[in-house]
This record gives sequence, C-alpha cells and structure tokens, in this order.
Amino acid sequence: MDKALLIQLVGSAVAVSLLVAIAAWARIPRPTPPLDAEGARALLAVEFPDDRVDALWIAADGAGLVARSGERALVAWRKGDSYVARDLAWSAALAARPDKGFLRLKTADGAPRLALKDGAWPPREFA
Amino acid sequence: MKTFDPVQLAIPFFVLAVILEIVLARLGKANARYEAKDTAMSLTMGLGSSIAGAILGGAIFAATVWVWQHRIFTIPMTAVWAWVILFFAEDLTYYWFHRIAHERRFWWASHVNHHTSTHYNLSTALRQTWTGGVVGTWLLWLPLSFLGFPPAMVAIQKGISLIYQFWIHTEAIKKMPRWFEAVFNTPSHHRVHHARNARYLDANYAGILIIWDRMFGTFIPEVDEEPCRYGTVKNLASFNLLTNVFHEFIGIAKDVAAHPRHALGYVFGPPGWSHDGSRDTSHTLKAKWRARLERDGKATPETHAAE
Repeated sequence: MDKALLIQLVGSAVAVSLLVAIAAWARIPRPTPPLDAEGARALLAVEFPDDRVDALWIAADGAGLVARSGERALVAWRKGDSYVARDLAWSAALAARPDKGFLRLKTADGAPRLALKDGAWPPREFA
Repeated sequence: MKTFDPVQLAIPFFVLAVILEIVLARLGKANARYEAKDTAMSLTMGLGSSIAGAILGGAIFAATVWVWQHRIFTIPMTAVWAWVILFFAEDLTYYWFHRIAHERRFWWASHVNHHTSTHYNLSTALRQTWTGGVVGTWLLWLPLSFLGFPPAMVAIQKGISLIYQFWIHTEAIKKMPRWFEAVFNTPSHHRVHHARNARYLDANYAGILIIWDRMFGTFIPEVDEEPCRYGTVKNLASFNLLTNVFHEFIGIAKDVAAHPRHALGYVFGPPGWSHDGSRDTSHTLKAKWRARLERDGKATPETHAAE
C-alpha cells in the first residue's frame, strides 16, 4: 500500500476515534427517560399514528413497550437515545417465551430484548 | 498524479467544526445532540466512503475523461463564465441525482445510509454512502463532460458542493436571513430533508441552491409547530455498520426473491412500494397524514401544499 495513503488512513481513523471520544465525553444525547404510560402513548402516537391501542405494556426498565392493536402487536424499544418501532402478529407476540427475565420478540428485522417485571409473559395487561 | 481536491483540504475544517459544535453544545451555547454510537457510525461511514471512493474513483474518472474526449465544445477551465455556468449546471445535476436517490428504491438503497441517523448534527454530514460508485449515479454528471467541461473542473465543483453541504447539517443555526433562505440551501431547509415526519418526506433535494426545489415543486418549509424528527420512516434496529450500508439492498434482494414477477417494481419503484399495496410509500404516508389532519380539523392550505 502507498505510504501516503496508509498515513492518511491511520490519521483518519485516529481522528474518528478522537471525535467519538469527545462526543462520549460531552454527554449530550437526547434525553430519553424510562417510558411511563404517558410517554409510551406519545411514542405510539408518533410511530403508529393510525393504529388504535387496545392494551399497553411497558418493559420493567422503561426501555420498550408492547401494545395490542387488534391482531397486531406494536413494539417499540430504545436504541441509543432514540426508539425503533416495528409490528408483528399479535399471536406471535403472545407466543414468545420469556428467558431469564427478558422477552425476545422477533420482528422482520429486529429482535428487541424487553425486561419483564416478574419474569412472566404475557403480562396481566394482556389478560 | 496530483490533483486539487477541495474535499481533502476541507477535512481538517470538518473535524474542527464537529469538535466546536460538540463543545458549544456541552457548554449550553448551541443546540446540538450527540450520541456516541451514532457519531461513531456517521464518522466510520465517512471514512469508508473515502476508501470506496478511492477504489472506484479512478475508473469513474477514466470514464469521465473518455466522455470528455468526445465532447461537443471545448470549455476553458480558466474562464470565469465557464465556472458560473458549471456552478448552476452541476447544482441542477445534483438536484436530480438527489431526487432520484430518494424516489427510486435502487438508488435509495445506496443513499439511505446518509439518512439513518436519528440525529442531525455536523457528524451526520459525514455519514456518506459506500456504494455510490456501484449504483452508477455518477453517470448523471457525464453530460457535463460531454458538453465540454473538463473532468477536473466538474470534480472540483462537485467537491465545492459537498463542502457547502457540510455546514447545513446542524440544529445550531435556526434560520439564515430571508434573502439567503430564499436562494440557498440552509440548515432549516435541509433539516426538513432529513426529517421522517410524513409532512416533510421527499422534499428539499437541493445541493447549494434551493431554487430548484422551488422550481420543481419539492420545496417544503420548516414550520415551528412541527419539529423535525430525524432518521428514516422505519429507523434501523441496530448500530451494525454493515447493516447500515447494505440493509436496503438486502431488502430488495429478499423482495425480488419472494416476488420475482414484481421485480421491476421492487427494484425501481419508490421506496416502500409493494405489489399488493401492503406497505407505505412517502405518497401514502402523506395521504394518511393529511387525512388525520382533516379528521382532526387541523388541515390548512400549508398542509395541502406539503405534497
């Protein structure tokens, strides 16, 4: 490899590391407090504005939610300081099995790991 | 061969500007949010984009030179009028490149990488594609060389456009003076472009001049009552770098494999297109948004203008 190109690559990698370190040091992410009922409904209103919410469950750590909307499960979970939202069949959400206090849901392109309050699934909100 | 590359020269400025934005935000003097993993993704995308550009850049430049050798006119690189014409012609080319890159899935698959950040800060500007050379959008600039603009001149103007577009990736600047907002692409206009709100989808494709969006009907102003939410309609589920680079290409491949009779639609249709209409495109998302506003009695002439 050309020496100048190598120096440029290494320099760029160092600059990237430095900038990421400064971003981490600054601690200026978007505030993302644990979800409560109000926050969860506001999040659902943004991510699923046309879907009615029949029932709502919030993960024990407030980092995710599952809502029933007819025969669909609306799911949202925290990624960094934002949320990812997906849906799946309600039957698939109900059929998920808890493991060591967490529930792993499989969506088309993501598998959120949601903390359970008492290790049981489905929760009483969906009874 | 040593060539003048304005982007290479600007890199130290990019680094210092990102540091300045972070420090000012930390001190409470500027409106900016940074999340470390998101920043790492943006900057690594930028670094990878430079490497991808170096790999394919020679072939693309050679093709451009070949076209220029078959040019219609000979345009001198030293003439001021040539630079003025190129400024407008290149910016118009960029507008159409950018519009296609958003409105047709094959090119969106390459460009979506730039839009996957849920943040809007100067590091987002550096979140550049790795696959631009492969999907062939560079072909759109070939007519400029065919007209007679020297390839180096076109490359420099493209670089100038890229550098211009760096500073507009910020929430720290609310609005520029009215005359400037009327003519140039600004942080406000480009925030709209990066927003995932239905109201703001598929808008403000400008590079340097916002006049193209005003001319071709894709201009949407930023409004205070609806703050921009950044990212894609479906935000990525992970910070995996390769997922960020290839996820839409993988999605296309899966759709084509599942529905080969509808391959053309899944490859060249608008993002979100599906043969059974089960998915949302920008068009259907906007229609649903307008229907909600009308249902709630909140529709205004401005919301109808956000087509």
